[in-house]
Amino acid sequence: MNTGPVLCYSEEPELAEELLRWTHHQKLSEGAPVAAAVLGALPADLPQRYAAAGAQEVYRLAAEAPAFPEAGVLAEALAIVVREAKPRLVLLASTKRGKQVVGRLAGLLDWPVATGVNELRRDGEAWVLEREALSGNAVSVEQFPGGAAIFALTTGQGPPAAASYPLQIREVTGAFPPSRVERREQRPKGGGGVHLETAERIVTVGRGLKKREDIPMVEALARALNASVGCTRPLAAEAGWFSDDHWIGLTGHRVKPKLYVALGVSGAVQHLVGMRGSRIVVAVNQDPNAPILGQADYRITADLYSLVPALLRALGVPG
Amino acid sequence: MSPNLRIWVAVKHGVDVGLTRADPATGVVALEGAPRKTSDFDRNAVEEAVRVRERSGGTVTAVSVGPPSAREALREALALGADEAVLFTDPAVPRFDTRAVARALAATCRTLGGFDLLLLGEGSTDHFGGVVGARVASELGVADLAYVRKLTVEPEGVVAERDLEREVEVLSARFPVVVTVGQEINTPRVPTFMSNLKASKKTIRQVGPAEVNLPASSLAPVQTTLRVAVPQVARKQVPLTGNSPDELARELLSRLRDEGVWP
Ligand SMILES: Cc1cc2nc3c(=O)[nH]c(=O)nc-3n(C[C@H](O)[C@H](O)[C@H](O)COP(=O)(O)OP(=O)(O)OC[C@H]3O[C@@H](n4cnc5c(N)ncnc54)[C@H](O)[C@@H]3O)c2cc1C
Repeated sequence: MNTGPVLCYSEEPELAEELLRWTHHQKLSEGAPVAAAVLGALPADLPQRYAAAGAQEVYRLAAEAPAFPEAGVLAEALAIVVREAKPRLVLLASTKRGKQVVGRLAGLLDWPVATGVNELRRDGEAWVLEREALSGNAVSVEQFPGGAAIFALTTGQGPPAAASYPLQIREVTGAFPPSRVERREQRPKGGGGVHLETAERIVTVGRGLKKREDIPMVEALARALNASVGCTRPLAAEAGWFSDDHWIGLTGHRVKPKLYVALGVSGAVQHLVGMRGSRIVVAVNQDPNAPILGQADYRITADLYSLVPALLRALGVPG
Repeated sequence: MSPNLRIWVAVKHGVDVGLTRADPATGVVALEGAPRKTSDFDRNAVEEAVRVRERSGGTVTAVSVGPPSAREALREALALGADEAVLFTDPAVPRFDTRAVARALAATCRTLGGFDLLLLGEGSTDHFGGVVGARVASELGVADLAYVRKLTVEPEGVVAERDLEREVEVLSARFPVVVTVGQEINTPRVPTFMSNLKASKKTIRQVGPAEVNLPASSLAPVQTTLRVAVPQVARKQVPLTGNSPDELARELLSRLRDEGVWP
């Protein structure tokens, strides 16, 4: 049995902290140390932050990172750390960049990999994990050999705080490989800084909304309910009425509010996967056969153009 | 501009997610024998491959790893404009997991003439692991540009605009390069009667491990799917009605108050 650490890596410190806390929460280390990998520069506050998230060791590749460390470079640098730390498990965040690093690392190490992991546990000698499948429509339970593996965790699960440990910093010697990719430009995506993952209430609109000019009506309802505004894919990706931070579903954001109000949303599986974790779901759709009505706690078969103004009146919003 | 750009595009014949049925009692989805179709993003990858050829010249070779039925996805790729198609299959492999797929794709592209540009969907409709593109690139020791929404071919390589969670990046890399794409990059054309007819007359080349110099052992599955089930979320399913929209609105607000989710 490998006695090496569980090694957590993300280039985003908040996500690395989440991986560390999750490792403790899921009891994945089985007595072995919980470690974080740092590639290149070690910011002064990082050891303290990682220790507070439960790290007992930091393995740091003590080398200068190239100006743009693309996924291939990160994977090769991480592989150097892995060869030194000999971890029982490598955990990454299942973000877009994270999955790309996982794919490249898998090619370098030939260890089993899985992404989008929501749960992970030991079952005898094996690893058993749960991840989404069928476009988020289903949960797949998969078994992996119990040896070293690379798993990418769905972040945003908010594992509880872990105890703090004394931290050992271990320097690993090696060099970053040259980058095969040049970055010509980088720009933040437009958006209002909406963070639907942590919203308590969400009012989501779909293509039942006829025109862009009707968005203020939906925003007024959201304000009165103290809710954030969400949307389906067509309204963000096709119509461009909303920035991507409002987009909920398989290729958008996963949300778990107390209250989810869906207005003029049909309820395609790729949308449902994004909102399945909601506590109370209200669906308003004029088509009694719309799938969303079958996924709701309170189902209202009505025209949103008559119900929303009525809700605004009932909430005392001047029309 | 290289007039003979070797463009490859990988397609998966995956489970048709819209047509799967779950057991009403257990939620378990039967995947054995489930209807299959070309994975959504792979159609975008084929479309992009054909557009690159239309602009820059070259040939488009579609490749699929899977059982013989994966020929259907290749047939569709031919109908969408691919010039050639190759099926990698091996009766000795019970299931192709991501490791086997990545290795077989890498070996096939490397052995059958090499490539300048290999396009893939960034994730498959059924599994959505999102690692095959990066793993193929890693096996081949070449760059991969992932989540691409806009692709431009230059004489020596490609420039790609890609979409991450919070930012957009414009990246460039020299040939050979692997590029993964999503739905936003283009709208795939629809095969016509004529293009289907033309595609039906083309031969799909079939290869196995021996033809692409791959040790057969390297395809053995490492992971096992124990079960795939639709999560059973119990919803209250209470229909709300009212004599007027105003009455309905008041009824809803009182329910939300009772549930403790508002105000
Ligand atoms: C690979 C892939 C990934 C995808 N990812 C996502 C994703 O992340 N998120 C996502 O949302 N979608 C996603 N989709 C798209 C998804 O399949 C659906 O097409 C989309 O969710 C439909 O959006 P909609 O409900 O707004 O529109 P529609 O399906 O057109 O539904 C509109 C609904 O509004 C109702 N309606 C119309 N007028 C009114 C009215 N006046 N009052 C009340 N109701 C009205 C109609 O009855 C209908 O049910 C994805 C698709 C694919 C293939």
